[in-house]
Amino acid sequence: MALEADRYGSRADTLLFLACVSLSLVAMALPPAWRDPLAGLLRRSVLAPFLGLQEQSTQFQTSRARFVELERQRDSAALAATFLPALRAENERLRGLLGLGERLGGGYVPAEVLHQAEPTSPLMLVIRAGRRQGVRPLAPVVSPEGLLGTVNVVEGATSTVVTWAHPDFRASAMAADGSVYGIIASAGGTGPGGMWLLELRGVPYRESVAAGTVIVTAGLGGVIPRGIPIGVVTGTAAVERGWERSYLVRPLAQPAGVGHVIVLVVPPGADAGRGFAPRNPGP
Amino acid sequence: MKHDRLRFTLLVGALVIAQFTVRGRFAGERIAPDFLLLALQLYAIRVAPGAGAAAGFLLGLLRDALTPASFGAGALAHTLVGYLTGWGKAVFFVENVIANGAFFFAGTWLRNAVVALASGALRDDRVIHELLVTSPLQGLTTALVGVILLLAFRGWPAVRPRVL
Repeated sequence: MALEADRYGSRADTLLFLACVSLSLVAMALPPAWRDPLAGLLRRSVLAPFLGLQEQSTQFQTSRARFVELERQRDSAALAATFLPALRAENERLRGLLGLGERLGGGYVPAEVLHQAEPTSPLMLVIRAGRRQGVRPLAPVVSPEGLLGTVNVVEGATSTVVTWAHPDFRASAMAADGSVYGIIASAGGTGPGGMWLLELRGVPYRESVAAGTVIVTAGLGGVIPRGIPIGVVTGTAAVERGWERSYLVRPLAQPAGVGHVIVLVVPPGADAGRGFAPRNPGP
Repeated sequence: MKHDRLRFTLLVGALVIAQFTVRGRFAGERIAPDFLLLALQLYAIRVAPGAGAAAGFLLGLLRDALTPASFGAGALAHTLVGYLTGWGKAVFFVENVIANGAFFFAGTWLRNAVVALASGALRDDRVIHELLVTSPLQGLTTALVGVILLLAFRGWPAVRPRVL
C-alpha cells in the first residue's frame, strides 16, 4: 500500500474544519425549543435502527442474565441448608427488583436504558419507551432503589430523562418521617472518588438532619408523587448560608448503573412510597 | 482500491454494530472502549483532515442526539478529534502500532475533555475526575481495542492510501 505523508491539509481542509467548528458552536447555542425537536428527529430517523439494535442487545443480555439468575437460584436452593441467611438476603433483593411493578399496581411503564459513551451520559438518559407506551413529560422515572429523574422529552418510542445528576434537576424532598422538608438538587461529583452526590437544600437552620436519615420525595409541586426514596444523608454540606442548612445525600439509584427503569404514570398526588420496600439506611 | 474501500467499509460497519451490541456488556459502562470513536479515527487517518473533521462533526451531532445534556459539545469534540487525527497522522507520519495506539488514546481523552468542558454541565470536581480517571481509562481500553485490530489486520486499517 502506497503511503501519502505529504498531506498536512489544504486551505479547503482548514475551511471545512472551521465550518464544522462553527456549526458545532451554533448547535451548542441552540435553545431547547429547537434542540429537542432536532435531536428527536435524528433519533427517529438515522439513529432508529441503531437504537433498535441496542434495545435488542439489551433484551438478549437481560434474558441471558435471567437464565443465569434462575440457574443460580436452583443451585442456591440445593445449598439452602448451608447458606440459608445468604439465600434469604438474595431472595429479598430479587423480590425487591421483581416486585416493584406489582406493588405499584397499574400506572407504570417499564423501559430499557440506552447508555452512551460520553462523560455527560449519566446526566440525561435515553429510554426505550415513549408516547405510544403512555409516557408523559415530567413523569418520574424510578429504579427499584429509588428516584432516578423525570422525563424531559417524549417521542413515539423513546424518551429522554433528566436524571438527578443534571445541574437543572430539582425535586421537593423530606425526611422519611416527614420531620424536615427541603429541595433536593445535584451536588456534582463531590463524594469520595468523584462519586455523584445530591444536596438537600433549604432546610431551616434550627432543624438538623442526622446522618443516615433516608430522604424521600415530598410530593409538593404536583409533579413527583410523595414517598419515592431518593438517598441517605451523609453529613452537612460544606456551604451553610444565611438561615438555612444544606446536607449531602448519597443517592440510592445510580443512573450509570441501571439497565432498566420504570416510568411512573400515576397521578402526581398519589403516594408512591408503598412501591418501595422499607430500607436500612446503612452506614 | 475498490477492494480496499469495501474492506474498510466492512470494518467500520463492524465497529458500529459493536458499539450498539457488545459495548453494553462491559462491566464499566463509562470506561468501556468507544468503538464509534475508534472508527472515526481509523477513517480520519486515511483521509484528508477536512474530511476527517466533517465525518467527526456528523458523528458528533448524531451522538449528541443520544446525550442531549451536551448537545453540540459532542459535535465540536468529534470535529476536533477527526481533524487533529488526520493532521497529526500526516505530520508525524508513523506506521507504528504503538504510536497509533497513542493516537487512539489521545483522541478518546481529548473527546471526553472537550465534551466535559464545553458542555458546562459537569461541576469542577467531576470534570477533574473525568479528565484524570475516567477518560484515561476509557482511552486505554479504546487504544487497546485499536491496537488489537491493527495487529489482527497487520496495520492495514491505519495506513493512508494514496487515493481512497
